Amino acid sequence: MPAAAAIKVLVVDDQLTMRALIRSALQEIGFKDIADAQDGEEGLKSLLTRPAHLVISDFNMPKLDGLGLLRAVRANESTKKAAFIMLTGRADKDLVQRAMQFGVNNYVTKPFSPAQLRQKIQEVFGPLT
Amino acid sequence: MIAPAPHSPQPARERMLHVVQGEFAVTSEPDVVLTTILGSCVATCMWDAVAGVGGMNHYLLPGDADSSGDSMRYGVNAMELLVNGLLQKGASRRRLQAKLFGGAHVVHNLGDVGVKNAEFAQRFLRLEGIPCLGQSLGGDRARRVRFWPTTGRAGQLLLDSTHQEVFSSESSRRPAPAEPHNPAAGSVELF
Repeated sequence: MPAAAAIKVLVVDDQLTMRALIRSALQEIGFKDIADAQDGEEGLKSLLTRPAHLVISDFNMPKLDGLGLLRAVRANESTKKAAFIMLTGRADKDLVQRAMQFGVNNYVTKPFSPAQLRQKIQEVFGPLT
Repeated sequence: MIAPAPHSPQPARERMLHVVQGEFAVTSEPDVVLTTILGSCVATCMWDAVAGVGGMNHYLLPGDADSSGDSMRYGVNAMELLVNGLLQKGASRRRLQAKLFGGAHVVHNLGDVGVKNAEFAQRFLRLEGIPCLGQSLGGDRARRVRFWPTTGRAGQLLLDSTHQEVFSSESSRRPAPAEPHNPAAGSVELF
């Protein structure tokens, strides 16, 4: 049973307010080691210098979107094992299909509560302590 | 602060697209006018004049609009849907500008939810660095808002307290009532 506090997380979203909300939800769940990035490009750079066990990424972002980030993460030997959860809008069924083809581990539909986020993370990591 | 929006020649025929509570609309079609009616709800009108694309959302934060619970998540999501819709149609985040309307205190048993809706919108724009070029928030009268999304021009008509259909429309998410023949509320203000 993994401890949330031991899991390194990277949050990638172009909206500062959304990053703050996700960080708050993660802290509520018990995560402590959280970094963030404002687009896929910055997220990838972060992962290469600070490996993470879990990436939670928005889809719509400038420079490199969530799908591009996912593909880059899966293509890189040092990052490919990271769990990847995509944040999606209510009408993004096509996106979910494509993300699954590229190896996404799970997705969360916005808006979501900390309990829903916890559930999605546990579906990937198993029950968290 | 209210700044005049650039005016462009009016298309020969305008198409009205009404945005109901909980929804948003984005368009780059110059003949479309986005409309809504607001009580304590807030509408964010946002556009990129260079790309010629704009949109409007219409939200009412649930609950007591506290800063960390469901209401915050709901509000951020409503804003993100609008911003993402604009970016998908070619807008640039750094060129986005906004105008805010609504947040009135029109139903006494709703407390100050209108104020909190308005404060959320202002805080969101400030945090995200999106300039707010005009706003009409608060007060005790409902508003009928029109927004020309490709130019950023906006106008509002303050409605009098007899327009109860405004509130029933907001709460039931029905389409807007017909334009009043005699609004008894004064002239249209342009923003």
